[in-house]
Amino acid sequence: MSSTLTPPDAQEVARRTQARDEDAALGRRARRARIVHYLGMPLFLLAVLLALYLWVQGQELDSIEARTITLGTLLSQTRQHITLTLYSTVVVLLLAVPLGIFATRPGTRRFAPAIIGLGNAGQAIPSLGLLALLYYLFRTQPALPSTGTFPVVVGLVAYSFLPILRNTMVGLEQVDRFVLEAGKGMGMSQRRVLRRIELPLAVPVILAGVRTALVLNVGTAALAFLFGGGGLGQTIFSGFQLRRNVVLVTGAVLVAVLALLVDYLAGLIEEKLTPKGL
Amino acid sequence: MAFLEYLSDPSTQRELISQTLDHIYLTAVPVAIAVVLGLGLGILAHRSPQLRSPILSVVSTLLTIPSLALFAIMIPIIGIGAGPAIVALTLYALLPIVRNTVSGLFSVDNAVIESAKGMGMSATKRLWKIELPNAWPVMLAGIRVATLLTVGIAAIAALVGGPGLGQEIFTGIRRIPASGSLESLLGGTLFIILLAVLFDLLYLAIGRVTIPRGIRE
Repeated sequence: MSSTLTPPDAQEVARRTQARDEDAALGRRARRARIVHYLGMPLFLLAVLLALYLWVQGQELDSIEARTITLGTLLSQTRQHITLTLYSTVVVLLLAVPLGIFATRPGTRRFAPAIIGLGNAGQAIPSLGLLALLYYLFRTQPALPSTGTFPVVVGLVAYSFLPILRNTMVGLEQVDRFVLEAGKGMGMSQRRVLRRIELPLAVPVILAGVRTALVLNVGTAALAFLFGGGGLGQTIFSGFQLRRNVVLVTGAVLVAVLALLVDYLAGLIEEKLTPKGL
Repeated sequence: MAFLEYLSDPSTQRELISQTLDHIYLTAVPVAIAVVLGLGLGILAHRSPQLRSPILSVVSTLLTIPSLALFAIMIPIIGIGAGPAIVALTLYALLPIVRNTVSGLFSVDNAVIESAKGMGMSATKRLWKIELPNAWPVMLAGIRVATLLTVGIAAIAALVGGPGLGQEIFTGIRRIPASGSLESLLGGTLFIILLAVLFDLLYLAIGRVTIPRGIRE
């Protein structure tokens, strides 16, 4: 009796074993994809920094180069760069996101296309020109502070303001009208619709805005050295002026690594804070 | 008033005109190369699901790298001048073009493709006769964004020895707050904005001429 049962049993066991192996393989592949997703960029950036370090160490540095690329200088420029990026990002978000919400209310919505159009046109203003004109204003008006991070932060905020405003508004406009109608139909007041439906649905948009602002600002902050704000752009520029490629490449790689790291971290935050249902 | 004097000075005019021509060159060449590359990459990313996410993430990573850094990294490889700027700007212009090519191709109505298949068109013929013409408005919008982006970023090339209107702005920056610096800043900035507006009008005209009447809004 048992002998008649053996063959299907063996098949069943084999099938189950295979299925389990496939599941495990699938799990392994998913795990590997997750590892690449989370660790790929940091490991890549670490490898780039290590390669840069080894390359610079291997070079015969002359006295000018040795004086320009010291750890102290690079660290203080990195700190300035990060400070400028964070300050300008916080300020631009505090200004642009509320204004974007305000500008998409029923009473003010008719201005929205004009503001979004202005946001598109604003892309044509070169960052270098805008920062320089604002800095000129700060330098020539005695009432305004002309040194330190303040003029540069104002410039960075002015440059990233329109893109963030535009993104917030486009995101809020995308919230499904039917969902809003449903909210109204349930007897929600307008403020309740905003707070309970529109803003939660717009969270991804606002988080994307945070990321865009950080990336824009970390890039534009590379120009801060021109206006007394310091930052890692200084090392790039010194390398160019002194015709020292070691200095130039060190500055450029550090700026690029910082920007990619900021983008990666902002991406992680975006992923973690976005509501699961969306 | 001082700005009008600055603009009416013949030597300024010569300077601004030659820098504007350089700036057009610095925009048109990278965008043209990026259109060819971006079209290929976009079609590839649309066709192959395995390549889609690597292609899109590489081109969007490129746009994350600050322009001053990318210009500078090209200098030891290519040398000083327009070269590093052209390569760096080409890499920046790729993202909007690739992204819009992919989404343009995905937006083509499946029924249209099916009827083309039913008519016996080959895959290549379908791509050129049906898919690309239908995707063209979205692709053109991507090329337009890429151009505006390039016009603005090209100004930064001047900091590391590149040509173009950024030079006028940079001249002004080095002289702040001396008299005459404001005029240079305004001159360079306004001419760049003017150039962006002209490019925008050009794309409007290109759209009028090249978008098939049947799919115009």
